[in-house]
Amino acid sequence: MTDSSLVVENLSFRYRDRPGAAIHDISFDANPGEILLIAGASGCGKTTLIRAINGLIPRSYKGEFSGRILVFGEETLKWKLSQISQKIGTVLQDPERQILGTKVLNEVAFGLENLGMSRDEIFQRVDEALAHLKISDLRERETFLLSGGEKQKVALAGVLAMRPGILLLDEPLASLDPASAQETLDAVRRLADEGMTVLMVEHRVEDVLRIRPERVMFVSEGQVRYLGALDGLSKAANYREVKLPAEQIVERAKADAAPAEIKILPGAAASTSGPETLVRFEHVGFGYDVGADVLHNINLEIKRGDVIAVLGPNGAGKTTFVKHAIGLLKPKSGRVLVDGKDTREASVAQIAGMLGYVFQSPSHMLFAPTVHDELAFGPTNLKHPKDQIEQEVKEALKIVNLSEKEQDPPLALSFGQQKRVSIAAILAMRSRILVMDEPTAGQDYQNYMNFMDSILQMPAFEAILFITHDVDLAVIYANRVLMIADGRLVADGKPQDVLRDFDRLKACRLVPTSLLALNLKRLPQTGRFMRAETLAHI
Amino acid sequence: MLVAWRYRKRENSFIQWFDPRAWIIFYLCFLVSTLAFWDVRFLLPFFAISLFVVFTSGVKWHEMRRAFLFIIGFVFFFAILTFLTGRGGTELYKAEHLIRQFKAPFAIFGWTPTLDITVERAFFAVSQFVRVFSIATMTILIPYSLNPALYGITFKGLGLPDNIAYAMDLTMRFIPTFGRDFQLTMDAQRARGYELEKISGGLIEQVRKLGPLMVPVTIHAIIGSEDIIDAMDLRAFGVGPRTWLDQLTYQTRDRVLIAGGVLILLASLGVGFFGFGNFWVPPALIKLFGG
Repeated sequence: MTDSSLVVENLSFRYRDRPGAAIHDISFDANPGEILLIAGASGCGKTTLIRAINGLIPRSYKGEFSGRILVFGEETLKWKLSQISQKIGTVLQDPERQILGTKVLNEVAFGLENLGMSRDEIFQRVDEALAHLKISDLRERETFLLSGGEKQKVALAGVLAMRPGILLLDEPLASLDPASAQETLDAVRRLADEGMTVLMVEHRVEDVLRIRPERVMFVSEGQVRYLGALDGLSKAANYREVKLPAEQIVERAKADAAPAEIKILPGAAASTSGPETLVRFEHVGFGYDVGADVLHNINLEIKRGDVIAVLGPNGAGKTTFVKHAIGLLKPKSGRVLVDGKDTREASVAQIAGMLGYVFQSPSHMLFAPTVHDELAFGPTNLKHPKDQIEQEVKEALKIVNLSEKEQDPPLALSFGQQKRVSIAAILAMRSRILVMDEPTAGQDYQNYMNFMDSILQMPAFEAILFITHDVDLAVIYANRVLMIADGRLVADGKPQDVLRDFDRLKACRLVPTSLLALNLKRLPQTGRFMRAETLAHI
Repeated sequence: MLVAWRYRKRENSFIQWFDPRAWIIFYLCFLVSTLAFWDVRFLLPFFAISLFVVFTSGVKWHEMRRAFLFIIGFVFFFAILTFLTGRGGTELYKAEHLIRQFKAPFAIFGWTPTLDITVERAFFAVSQFVRVFSIATMTILIPYSLNPALYGITFKGLGLPDNIAYAMDLTMRFIPTFGRDFQLTMDAQRARGYELEKISGGLIEQVRKLGPLMVPVTIHAIIGSEDIIDAMDLRAFGVGPRTWLDQLTYQTRDRVLIAGGVLILLASLGVGFFGFGNFWVPPALIKLFGG
């Protein structure tokens, strides 16, 4: 007998329709009151491990399963999902995909209703769970209208109401703004302190360090590479694979060669002809419904050479703002000029030649039988010559590191790869301005840093704009930061000017990172923001 | 995530005054009764009921404008189409009485395109419009007026088993979700220079060119439903009889409404059984045009 609430022994699994094991010979245990952080690149087997523990493998996902999982001393393989779900609660990556109820009350009660509990007990447990997460005020709200952070907490409450002893969290921070992420983490810490066993899969390692996970497991290619105290992680894991605090990266990177200098937007620097202003917003106001404005009096210009990070809380109007630039939305008041032309007088297809827009979710656009055809779709619509299209496709694939997947069906790729295909599909159009909505969401650290590096060095673009929750992305890549809150432009300037105002960051639900703090400290010496690897050599 | 219809609690709404189960029963009775008639005199009371329900629903015009214009356009289009072609009503009337005939001044391979405007066709178009409009109006109002949080318990209360009732609940909410996904995909493809308006070619070619829209929307629907199944499995759905947190209780007014609906249904079926309510054209008009 053991005191561990969860014991995993020699666990291996291969999905029925995929070659090679997704996880191989994994063994560990976890104790009550412990937070075990599971880190690793995308596709390393983290999600498979979670599914094996919560029972979806092998019940919903079939394949070859071997090894044992013991929950509070009992093997779970013969258990029904309903039994497992009372011991192990799972919060999925995206709360949008987990929430079923229309009202918060119904959502949190869902599992209890399924267990056939009495109404009185259900009400009592729901209220307890909501109070525990300090969200009792949301009880009667509609789930559809909640913010991302609120949705995540409601999903968590729905799981807690079933009183599991073990909690599994699969990248719970992926879709949250930094302040919401911090609130979620604090709630998780409290639960562990009360005796719950928490397994958290997350590659935003730096964020999780705030809540002092007891141990960390580093998974790579389906195997455990490191399991132990936090301090050991920075030695076991490559600082390019896992996002570590800036000071640790600086320490580690000192031993390596200095990274190559990135030439940002070489195309913009080379081009001297044509007007400098590419896009102009003039007093733009917009609302989907009468009397509920999403954007208020936005005035700004996107100029040649701009690399703009758009920051702001969930639901602040960032996506609505960029949709105006490509003419998918037309302003209710004011006007938007792209290359001097009013977007009201041009079709989206016409603007697309000038401004390429990468949507947040790749699954809304991928359709073609091969990655090659997917990438050729945009340039073909824009009537590029055939041989030019071939070259555009090849170059775009190279940038997102998917050249070997050219003949694969995009829908059979992993989420991270699909996201890169969706970016490549826009890159192949060779628009002059590139707009990306959350380009790094669902990507692992190494991959997104690599493609951001490549995209910024592409000669075709004259300006780039990206929406992000990741303050470090703005620190490393942007030369201009826009902050949007409640549909208003609250700040517009150089990163070192905008991001030094911590009060404003807080008001926009952003949290200063270790890289930002380090850059601000070294600013008198460096004169501009840079990545930690570069700081290591200054 | 499933999107909610544009429901909200409305002040002084007639339809929201009732238990949703009672309203669904009334609606089904109304539906079958309306379908029993082609006689515009019998259809007019149903038309009147539907107008009454719209005007007392509390739904503002700007909220339902899109849905309404779509339905009116749709109904109008089909009424006009059957009117022009003369097809669709032929099984309901035998003789036609010509009001006016339009003949094309040319012939194609010996066939001269001709448009006959007859009393029967005109009245068939009117009847068809009244009939379909009444049903469509009553249907449109449901998503605006029934609380989505109560869909499941409503279907359960109508006698469906737990699993089916919850499946119906999800299906009702899947329709607007599908609409949202379609719009997102449409936007994403337009941003890649895709123009639906410019689709040309033969039928097969046109369908093929809809791929960029249909494939992502379908895949998304499949992935979305897999997520929903996982989320339900992880919270013990379907393991035994479930408790429904919300409760519904019939009031007197609900019983009156159900009785009214059933009465209308029985009366309609009775009237139809005795041969009334078939397609009707005012005899005076027939006389006027040579009957």
